[in-house]
Amino acid sequence: MPSLKIYTIEGCPFCIKAKAFLAEKGIEFEEVPASPHSEDWQRMKEKTRSGSVPQICIDGEPLGGYSDLVYLEATGILWEKLGLTDRAKKATAGESGIYDLIVIGGGPAGLSAGIYAARKLMKTFLIAKDIGGQVVWTYDIDNYLGFTEVDTAGLISKFHEHVEKYDVATREGIEVVSVELSGRIKKITTDDNNIYLAKSVIIATGKRPRPLGVPGEQEYIGRGVAFCSTCDAPLYVDLTATVVGGGNSALEAAIDLEKVATRVHLVSLTPLTGDPILVEKVEGMEKVDIYTEYNTTRIIGEQSVTGIEIVSVKDGKKQILDTDGVFIEIGLLPNSDLVIDTLTTNRIGEITVDSECRTGMTGVFAAGDVTNVPYKQVIVAAGEGAKAALSAYNYLINQR
Amino acid sequence: MTEAKVVVYSTPTCPFCKKAKEFLTKKEIDFIDHDVTKDRDALEEMRKLTQGGLSVPVLHICDEIIIGFDQARIEKVLADCLSS
Repeated sequence: MPSLKIYTIEGCPFCIKAKAFLAEKGIEFEEVPASPHSEDWQRMKEKTRSGSVPQICIDGEPLGGYSDLVYLEATGILWEKLGLTDRAKKATAGESGIYDLIVIGGGPAGLSAGIYAARKLMKTFLIAKDIGGQVVWTYDIDNYLGFTEVDTAGLISKFHEHVEKYDVATREGIEVVSVELSGRIKKITTDDNNIYLAKSVIIATGKRPRPLGVPGEQEYIGRGVAFCSTCDAPLYVDLTATVVGGGNSALEAAIDLEKVATRVHLVSLTPLTGDPILVEKVEGMEKVDIYTEYNTTRIIGEQSVTGIEIVSVKDGKKQILDTDGVFIEIGLLPNSDLVIDTLTTNRIGEITVDSECRTGMTGVFAAGDVTNVPYKQVIVAAGEGAKAALSAYNYLINQR
Repeated sequence: MTEAKVVVYSTPTCPFCKKAKEFLTKKEIDFIDHDVTKDRDALEEMRKLTQGGLSVPVLHICDEIIIGFDQARIEKVLADCLSS
């Protein structure tokens, strides 16, 4: 069998990555530590005409560095050179081969990117946990251009139908579990054990509700702990409900609940931060008790929720409020966990992008709420998705 | 339409309930939908089935109870249910 040699120097991170990659693929290799200006180094330079490391050779034929290695493995060429044609066939991610673009996320940003990419005749694959994303959490949208009032499900249907008119391969209901984004070919692994390859990627994974992170929260989801007041508020007829949070979502939840519940507690860590018009409305509601500067420490229950423990930030006094349910409305977290160690993110975990949706990593773009775009709105996300797709297209045509 | 014992408990303002019902319709699964804001008996039934649940949608498929639109789980339970 042909032998693979890798030239490395100490402390070189891509050398470490290349060796780990080879080990992971079960490829035997001979490592040649080539400290600069040593004989081995000179030999490497002569063979490869390159002074950068790592350098990979098979039987003396130079193949390049780490990203070339990833590309050659993904396309099966590496396996062919090693004389392992069976593995060459397996390596190319099945019939789909290599996409021009993979879009991760099926909200407005992802769907918009899909349309723009398809119209540029980019071979595109869209992976979504759910089509619609955060948009589906509210019932109505009144500020999407062209629609004076539309229910979100209707708007998402229109977006989805639009994408379906184009040749965009889509898979819904699956999650991406890991990504390899450095290198010319990006590798996406999904939770159903499939691997997809692409020359470029757009991350449009949006945001998710921030959990409180207190005991009882996970155990009682669906049985008193809720994140969607649009869905569940109507169920609280003749019951007591608590809302944790002080912003607009919390105030709107309290307003929804006040219509049906016998009592509503509003618990906020800080003074209420929502729009003054909503704050005023809630303060004027007799059925709503407001607790500001209280930390929520525990959710209590038996079969379902029965109470919530709160602690005053000012004097540390504990209190237990009787409640049949707790709505958690304390903001959102960006779904950037997949890339938090690979891409630049800001203080709150949003992927930082420039005005062309570039992330700083070649061939990797991001759009919508998962990024540091200043305004998180459906129409902004749709615009960002379009930009990201156009940027991906420009990137690809400059590759050829 | 395929025969499957599927009951949905929903509220009219709940977008996930709408998604769940659209999903079932697309798959050509017959289902009964109870609007628990109007049908108090259905609300009590739902709470009993979910051991005190207060979130919708609730899907009762064969013997399984699913709270929320968990597409992957719903697909699996439907597949198991239809094959039995």
